[in-house]
Amino acid sequence: MGTSDLDRQIEQLKRCEPLTEAEVKALCLKAMEILVEESNVQRVDAPVTICGDIHGQFYDMKELFKVGGDCPKTNYLFLGDFVDRGFYSVETFLLLLALKVRYPDRITLIRGNHESRQITQVYGFYDECLRKYGSVNVWRYCTDIFDYLSLSALIENKIFSVHGGLSPNITTLDQIRVIDRKQEVPHDGAMCDLLWSDPEDAVDGWGLSPRGAGFLFGGNVVSSFNHTNNIDYICRAHQLVMEGFKWMFNNKIVTVWSAPNYCYRCGNVAAILELDENLNKQFRVFEAAPHESRGVPSKRPAPDYFL
Amino acid sequence: MATMDEPLYPIAILIDELKNEDIQLRLNSIRRLSTIARALGEERTRKELIPFLSENNDDEDEVLLAMAEELGVFIPYVGGVEHAHVLLPPLETLCTVEETCVRDKAVESLCRIGAQMKESDIVDWFVPVVKRLAAGEWFTARVSSCGLFHIAYPSSPDQLKAELRNIYGQLCQDDMPMVRRAAASNLGKFAATVEQTYLKTEVMSIFDDLTQDDQDSVRLLAVEGCAALGKLLEPQDCVAHILPVIVNFSQDKSWRVRYMVANQLYELCEAAGPEHSREHLVPAYVRLLRDNEAEVRIAAAGKVTKFCRILSPQLAIQHILPCVKELSSDSSQHVRSALASVIMGMAPVLGKDATIEQLLPIFLSLLKDEFPDVRLNIISKLDQVNQVIGIDLLSQSLLPAIVELAEDRHWRVRLAIIEYIPLLASQLGVGFFDDKLGALCMQWLEDKVFSIRDAAANNLKRLAEEFGPDWAMQHIIPQVLEKINNPHYLYRMTILQAISLLAPVMGAEITCQQLLPVVINSSKDRVPNIKFNVAKVLQALIPILDQSVVEKNVKPCLVELSEDPDVDVRYYANQALQACDQIMMSS
Repeated sequence: MGTSDLDRQIEQLKRCEPLTEAEVKALCLKAMEILVEESNVQRVDAPVTICGDIHGQFYDMKELFKVGGDCPKTNYLFLGDFVDRGFYSVETFLLLLALKVRYPDRITLIRGNHESRQITQVYGFYDECLRKYGSVNVWRYCTDIFDYLSLSALIENKIFSVHGGLSPNITTLDQIRVIDRKQEVPHDGAMCDLLWSDPEDAVDGWGLSPRGAGFLFGGNVVSSFNHTNNIDYICRAHQLVMEGFKWMFNNKIVTVWSAPNYCYRCGNVAAILELDENLNKQFRVFEAAPHESRGVPSKRPAPDYFL
Repeated sequence: MATMDEPLYPIAILIDELKNEDIQLRLNSIRRLSTIARALGEERTRKELIPFLSENNDDEDEVLLAMAEELGVFIPYVGGVEHAHVLLPPLETLCTVEETCVRDKAVESLCRIGAQMKESDIVDWFVPVVKRLAAGEWFTARVSSCGLFHIAYPSSPDQLKAELRNIYGQLCQDDMPMVRRAAASNLGKFAATVEQTYLKTEVMSIFDDLTQDDQDSVRLLAVEGCAALGKLLEPQDCVAHILPVIVNFSQDKSWRVRYMVANQLYELCEAAGPEHSREHLVPAYVRLLRDNEAEVRIAAAGKVTKFCRILSPQLAIQHILPCVKELSSDSSQHVRSALASVIMGMAPVLGKDATIEQLLPIFLSLLKDEFPDVRLNIISKLDQVNQVIGIDLLSQSLLPAIVELAEDRHWRVRLAIIEYIPLLASQLGVGFFDDKLGALCMQWLEDKVFSIRDAAANNLKRLAEEFGPDWAMQHIIPQVLEKINNPHYLYRMTILQAISLLAPVMGAEITCQQLLPVVINSSKDRVPNIKFNVAKVLQALIPILDQSVVEKNVKPCLVELSEDPDVDVRYYANQALQACDQIMMSS
């Protein structure tokens, strides 16, 4: 697969037209070669723009690029949850993956709790693949790639980025580095917690998560993690925040959420975090794409996995 | 032996797969129906396949839908039109199922087949189907029958015609609202086949019943019938019969009916002819513009320009304009937005004086609306007003509002303003532009939204084209180049983009002396993104620059970039180097 093929596929995906099954297979093989080399704590250089959950809201992701700039002009770090719930998980994930293969140093993708075989069978990605391709092969290729996605990123050794949060089994970044990540997201343990946990004001230390996976963790946990690993703050996604971003624990952790009007009904705004070459932060808040810039609206009633 | 068995093979598979538990397999076999029919031959298709299908219609809706569709194009496989009637029984059964889309498809296929059948066959086979369905016990059959009359009627002898008209009349008074709805929505099609005499008498009386139906969902459909029937009737009959109905509908107690009238009123006016519209429909329209229900006002507001076009300016000013004024401060943002999307078109209709006196204040208030869609709708059509009121007045009254919107917090509003700038510049001229708008254009280069920065760079190019390189050299280039020192890489990137757009307009000399040094200097940037964009910009500059400059300045810079540690920098530097070589070779 040459650069010109890839450029053509990227243009096609930008129009929200999916690739053929054979193209997806080839793209995933190529992506695997790149992702397998990445660390569980992938090193990322500034400047970079950090994005939270997308959840298949393709036209809202295009809105994100209109606000943040196109890749490769702008460098991006996506914190996972590319698929499920929205109508265009296939196109969304494939566009990000194609950009990753074309510009490996300009875009970093890490794994979210929805990048899993089990979860995608319940929340839409599996059904969407089946509907759009008439077979589950594309879902298989994509979920195989999910196993290769890195678990976290470290920006200029100062900002730790992860989809969910921390784990009681993890004190140092080196403990993350030794996880064997090439597997389906387990039901418990460090790898699961990184993708599932949430910070919580009301918790001191560790608490049980209402999600049934991962933990709730309090401000003292974050303080000591940041201190131990000599980082300024943690940047994570995973939770809807109506204003698009939310600082907690005295600016020790920030949630970034990039799916505006989540599930096409929550009425929230979205945000991305722009870090310049000196790690100065600017949140860019944006709204859902206007109706007329979307494709033909789906006549199907909202599936029951909508909230 | 094998060849003898072969004709049996496909039907065996079909029957097998039609009974398969997997719906996908059943669906596939139905979709291959024509292939199987061809293999069976016409006679066996008529005698075995079609009866088989008639008996096996207790399936999933998806399969039935496919069957209804396939049968519609099946005439060639049963031996041509003279045998077309064998297709009617399975479709008749499909016309009675519960799922609406299956029934609709069956009706569509029946119409398609009926349209090809001979007159005598229609009478012998098609009309009985219509009559049976219309007398069906279950309402689904009666609903389906309504869509078939326009095929059955023209071929029937007079006595049968009278009977069909009578049956249709009964369907319009059916106990089930679903049936009356179907009758109402098909009335236009049926009426088009009925003779003028009966049209004025029987059909109009059927129509009158429908317009007084106690279900608003039926009356709703009768509204659509107004336009269809109006076109069939002679003008004086239309005025006598249809206009009063429309006027009544515009005061219907159900807002959905009034909404429908508001949506259709323009089409109705066309049917009634302009003179009568003025007299009768202006009051009705004014009522709709002042309706209690916002939905109705939205629909009515959206038609205001179209409606004014068929009125005289005087009538529009006298009757419609006061309503427009009210709507511009309507409590519903959607009403204001609908109005804003069309109101600019009223300027040419009303003429200069009325526009200045009456419309301009409304524009201004909508431009300051708190809802961004309203502002956006006004801005995007601003050019229509220029032509009417002239640039002086525009700049005095609208410009302050525009300048305010240049900093609107919604980026699409800012974008709309930027896109309007070149037009404004060309009309305002250099002097005015320098005073008021020049600073804004620079400010947009550092907007926090990428699309705005991108549009700002493009805007500068268009301004340079409009006012010429000398002006640009004074008013654009120095300010732009200064910004290359911005500490944020995305803003430096915008400047590179602006340079590559401006260079062709500025010409070889300025590009070489002013722009190129800045670009070359940026190749030492610490951010790889800047460096590979330098390579891209240099590639764009090659055709503009002197060959000696390319050789002396551009190429060494690119060679250095082509050895950068970053893979993307190397890639784009090499692309640019190839472009250099091609230029060298071709010259």
